[in-house]
Amino acid sequence: MAASLEADRIAKAFGATLALRGASLHLQPGRVHALLGENGAGKSTLVKIIVGALAPDAGALRMAGRPVVFRSVREAMAAGIVPIHQHLSLFPHLSVLENLSAFALGCTRRAAASSALLPRAEAAARLETVGLHLDLDQPVAALSLGQRQLLEIARSVGRECRVLVLDEPTAALNHSEAARLFEVVRRLCAAGTAVLFISHRLDEIDAVADDVTVLRDGRAVIAGTPRSHLSREALVRAMLGTAVAAATRHLPEPGAPVLVAAGLRPGPGDAPADCVVRAGEVVGLAGLVGSGALELAAALAGARPAAGQLHVAGRRLPPGDRQQAVALGVGYVPGDRHAEGLFPVLSALQNASACSTRGLAPAGVLSPAREAARMLPWLRRMKLHPFLPAMKARTFSGGNQQKLLMARNLAIDGLRVLVVLEPTRGVDIAARETIHDAIADIARQGVAVVLATSDLDEAMALAHRVLVVRHGRIAAEILRGAARTNLLDALAGQAAA
Amino acid sequence: MTALALPLPVRSAWRRWRPGAAAWTTLGVFLLFAVLVPRFASSGNLVNVLRVAAILCVAACGQAIVLVLGGIEFSFGSSAALASVVGVLAVPWLGPAGGLAAGGAVVIAIGALNGALIAGFGLPPFVVTLGMLMAAAGAAASLVGGQPIDAPPSAAFAWPAAGSVATIPVPILLGAAAVTVLHALLSRSRLGRLWYLAGANPVAARLSGIAVGRVTFLGYLVAGAFCAVTAVVLTSRVGSGQPNLAPNLPFESIAACAIGGIPLAGGEGRAHQVVCGVLVIAMMNNAVVLLNFPIAAQQLVMAVVIIGAVLLQNAGSLPVMLRRALTRRPNA
Repeated sequence: MAASLEADRIAKAFGATLALRGASLHLQPGRVHALLGENGAGKSTLVKIIVGALAPDAGALRMAGRPVVFRSVREAMAAGIVPIHQHLSLFPHLSVLENLSAFALGCTRRAAASSALLPRAEAAARLETVGLHLDLDQPVAALSLGQRQLLEIARSVGRECRVLVLDEPTAALNHSEAARLFEVVRRLCAAGTAVLFISHRLDEIDAVADDVTVLRDGRAVIAGTPRSHLSREALVRAMLGTAVAAATRHLPEPGAPVLVAAGLRPGPGDAPADCVVRAGEVVGLAGLVGSGALELAAALAGARPAAGQLHVAGRRLPPGDRQQAVALGVGYVPGDRHAEGLFPVLSALQNASACSTRGLAPAGVLSPAREAARMLPWLRRMKLHPFLPAMKARTFSGGNQQKLLMARNLAIDGLRVLVVLEPTRGVDIAARETIHDAIADIARQGVAVVLATSDLDEAMALAHRVLVVRHGRIAAEILRGAARTNLLDALAGQAAA
Repeated sequence: MTALALPLPVRSAWRRWRPGAAAWTTLGVFLLFAVLVPRFASSGNLVNVLRVAAILCVAACGQAIVLVLGGIEFSFGSSAALASVVGVLAVPWLGPAGGLAAGGAVVIAIGALNGALIAGFGLPPFVVTLGMLMAAAGAAASLVGGQPIDAPPSAAFAWPAAGSVATIPVPILLGAAAVTVLHALLSRSRLGRLWYLAGANPVAARLSGIAVGRVTFLGYLVAGAFCAVTAVVLTSRVGSGQPNLAPNLPFESIAACAIGGIPLAGGEGRAHQVVCGVLVIAMMNNAVVLLNFPIAAQQLVMAVVIIGAVLLQNAGSLPVMLRRALTRRPNA
């Protein structure tokens, strides 16, 4: 059978850097093909070439055996290649119905708006294909990230779709939403669509992939091998080039209480939460999307207004007051690094020092030498790569941007509490290790750590105990060393816990 | 479509080159005029160019701070006009120097009011400063019934525009001082760093414990102080209270920053870029006058230079720009 899409010996250089050196990828109809690789391996370049956003320097694209050339994303879409991006491309101020109709609108030559909107029944049917039940007139801005991702997929699969390109589609999804997505993917496959699936999560590769290609340094080191022929270790080894030990990190004995929350309610619908985090203790906060786990974590860091009382080392912290929080030594790594964390046009060094300007400029005068002397060790410790502190933050990979946010908070004077949200979302394995090491290290130095994550392995590997949040209340506490299934049951609300 | 992501070496090379881009443009424009425009390169004319550039430069320094904050400041023009009217009206009570100071204080107060409305109520800078542009113009016109009023002739009143220290004209000294202060603020002060942080991502700045509101307020206040200096020099130069003193000041100061390569998106901008942009505008204005171009042609030339400069900075180079325009459909 002819492949749906063949990318044959693709090469692409950016200046002196060879991003792709003859990588090939063959997508078969009705199969899910996983594309793996570390940040910088050439994954995104290859995907951009396939979806028409970049032109290759050498090599050929063929669809059903016939050579094709895409000069734009639009041309690739017309040929049936549908990209779903990591960064959502919905229109937040328009309604669900208008968003669902957006492609129809783009394809019609008629200006009359009445012909541009999908019939409501058809729109509802499309939502049904991804298991969404939404008010069609609701603005997209009111939806959760997970719902938006599913809506984006619903919008795209409504089209003539021969190759579906999913770039980290589950980064913002919870388990049930991800499971629903995989169902949709299988249904499309059964109809003969080829799916290209890019993810950092090996669990998901296990769950959906039929074939696997692994890129390293711009080449395919595993090229279209059936998933069943490969062990997890083989995949990781292929990505990293060396075997990595799965680290079990030593955590210290917790000391005196540092962060004390009493009756903390991040939102009007939430139950008052009481919790104590001790010096050197790592407390995980886990919950499905929309459970309120991330909101509770943000409130604990003073990053979000909330009812109730917060005390840090015995001193009152007014909820929502980040200035006071930083002064008391409360660090906060937000979950959405682009919207809430990064200063994209400022340098890596300036990003790292953002919380420390007072200490760096005692009389209001900033000394670049002092700034470099204080901040560079943190960037080195976080293994910033490439180590170019003067380069703008937006030019770094996602993993390295996340390292900048970690460095910024680790550098806070008198750090007592570190609240970290989704620290390794969309981050490659090496950066994940570095970030986990840093979290364990800072706990060993006596900092109280709150780790809110939807990555269960991360929660189980790093936390003394995991608080499970369901419907805005702390519903269960799972201690370190408990079976993973206990945590899963608690998250889903199945066990009495 | 997804943004065209350039790889690191290309970007870093581009970044190294870009600070020079403004300087090369300025040098290129200078050489072009020196060759093509008679009398342009004479020392007397160049001092005149510098004198005009310096007055605009001080206000553009203030504009740069607002742009770094991700805002925009339109009220400069009519706040300078109001300053000249108030300054001249105050001379009988406060004397020439006191009158000019009162005029300057008006501009600073307008900057503070802008800052309070933008930072305190979260209003869009575009609307607030545009509203203030109209309000100050209205106030200036109604104070003097729409007609200019002359200041009593005095050496002190004329000194900021016509005086000199050690043979260097005062406006040029003020321009140089403004650039020095701006450079110190932006690269060596905590406040300047906080402006960059608040401009680059206000949400991240708040979550990093920065008092974004206070920082924004101070930005507009300091910008007002820069503009106050320009207003005093302009008032001194015309020797009268003019309700229509400098209608183009906000646009020329924004244009100067844009030509120098400061993006309007916030978080970026340095003092040398302001200098380059201001020099280009001053040289253009001077050259079209020397060439006896009609006023309409002057404005056309200015438009081409501003848009052309920003186009070049965004596209990197003409070949890249043309290739992109030719190979991609606009909505691809």
